[in-house]
Amino acid sequence: MDSVIKLENVWKVYQLGKVELTALKGVSLDIHRGDFVTIMGPSGSGKSTLLNMIGCLDSPTKGKVFLKERDISRLSEDQLSQLRGKTIGFVFQEFNLMPNLTALENVTLPMVFQGVSEPERIKRGQELLSSLGLKERVRHQPAELSGGERQRVAIARAFANNPEVVIADEPTGNLDSHSGKKIMEVLKEFHQKEGKTIVVVTHDPNIAGYSEKIFNIKDGEMVQNHLQTQKYVWNK
Amino acid sequence: MEQIKEYFKIALRNLRTRSLRSWLTILGIVIGVFLIISLLSLSEGIKQTITQQLRALGGEVIFVMPGEISNPIAMFMSGARLEREDIEGIEKVHGVDTVLTMSYQSLLVRHKDEGKTVFTSGLSWEKGTEIMEKFQGWSLKKGEWPIPGKREAVIGSQVENNVFEKKVALGDEIIIKGRRFEVVGILNSLGSKQDDTSIYLDLPFYQDLTGEKRGTAQMAMVKIKKGVSLDETAKKIKESLEKTRKRRMGSDAADFSVITSEKMGDIAGDILAVIQLAIIGFASIAIIVGGIGIMNTMFTSVRERTREIGIMKAIGAKDKAILTIFLFEAGIIGLMGGIGGTVLGLTLAKIIEIYGQAHPAFYFTATVSPGLVVFGLSFSFLVGCLSGFIPARQAAKLKPVEALRRYE
Repeated sequence: MDSVIKLENVWKVYQLGKVELTALKGVSLDIHRGDFVTIMGPSGSGKSTLLNMIGCLDSPTKGKVFLKERDISRLSEDQLSQLRGKTIGFVFQEFNLMPNLTALENVTLPMVFQGVSEPERIKRGQELLSSLGLKERVRHQPAELSGGERQRVAIARAFANNPEVVIADEPTGNLDSHSGKKIMEVLKEFHQKEGKTIVVVTHDPNIAGYSEKIFNIKDGEMVQNHLQTQKYVWNK
Repeated sequence: MEQIKEYFKIALRNLRTRSLRSWLTILGIVIGVFLIISLLSLSEGIKQTITQQLRALGGEVIFVMPGEISNPIAMFMSGARLEREDIEGIEKVHGVDTVLTMSYQSLLVRHKDEGKTVFTSGLSWEKGTEIMEKFQGWSLKKGEWPIPGKREAVIGSQVENNVFEKKVALGDEIIIKGRRFEVVGILNSLGSKQDDTSIYLDLPFYQDLTGEKRGTAQMAMVKIKKGVSLDETAKKIKESLEKTRKRRMGSDAADFSVITSEKMGDIAGDILAVIQLAIIGFASIAIIVGGIGIMNTMFTSVRERTREIGIMKAIGAKDKAILTIFLFEAGIIGLMGGIGGTVLGLTLAKIIEIYGQAHPAFYFTATVSPGLVVFGLSFSFLVGCLSGFIPARQAAKLKPVEALRRYE
């Protein structure tokens, strides 16, 4: 199977004044095309740092990160931005939509950065929003949307450039269980229908239940990886 | 290009979201540009008025005036006089055709039981009418020139209506120091308030009134013969004056300026250039303050929107994209300020111009050149971009992960 994101013995050390904080201690993992992966761990375990590495938002202190078999440490900041915009979509816990832009403009923004033409952008944006049940909401600003709607806009944005990987950081963390379930169903659908690689970071076992592979992280180290066998708790 | 258009739209949206702050920042630039545009168009207008007046003087006349020309106050306060020998000396200079002597003083003038202090000039009608008509642009609105040797006076255009409560008409009598004069002519405007509110008498009568010695004068206008060099003659007049003075008083200090009208224009031009430079200097300070305002707003903006910058970078924005968006915001603020300031400045200039036309007493025009408008707009846009550059670069250089983490 193709490796989409691969971490090799990744260390991340933060310098907090005089104190050194080691967030990741030699983590290695391999995410393949079409995987639905969950990264689990308590807060402070280093899972956000790990997510930043996987998402190529940060560079490791030591070790190597490969995005589609390219060593990202060899890329310039701009090349990395370009590659990230094309290959990876992000869904954040706080939605992180641009408050001044409408739903449609938020969804089309990643395409602006990739130089997609305006008619194409609008077509793709409207398709995505419609498929997520937000057809009536395209002209609304984030403040006029509910939490679940905002997160769906964020998901539409994440898929705008048709990326190979979508990384979701606690995507349901700020939502009620009903909305949360809906968001996970949407991610699952993208995974199953379009074969997208999905990486979810969570501490919620309900969310983890959707994935096929779970990485557990504790104190900056991988403690166990296993394949998911149990059924979704929500579905019971 | 497509992207640039989008960045511009995003920048506009961002400004609109923070509209109060944006408008206040714009106001800072408006004030600076307003100052530059209005002051420069006014000074340009003054320059044109002066040039026009100097052109009316004609090129072929030499002025002999008391004091140093570069110091106008001393010129009128010095009390230096041309003595009979001085004038005779000038008349003898090669190339001199006519010497028209003049004196002036404020005198109490009565008209129909009303007394007013009016600036009164004495000049010889015999020699003067031709020179004044030809070289000073004098012309009569009403009446005729006085007959030399008769108690007749010519009044400036504003004396007719604006100086005395009752209108001064042709044939009216005015009384100066108990002597009666008949008003026989009214001049067209000469382009300066002082000239237009003056009364002009024949020099001998003027000297009788003021007790000034006959044959002397306060200043002189010299008409030269055809084909003679103006500058050359002016130089010779100066030498003649110095010689006469030396012989009489043993001093060779030049208490008189001998200048041509052309030189007068140069001097006025020099003074105005200095004034304009000072205006630009002061107004630039206002613009710099406005620019600091933009910088301040942009820094605040970058801090506030660190998270947004992080998001944009995470979803694929390059450094250049962020830089462009922030530069646009600063540039738009600058340009809007420029437009506002230009419009206000032009409005003021226009008002002054209209006012100046309606009130002849108010010799003030404003000239707006298209170059000035272009300068105002491009300068303010440039100031915006320059002041926005450092904050924009700071924004562009943010690391996505740090930008996202901050203010979480």
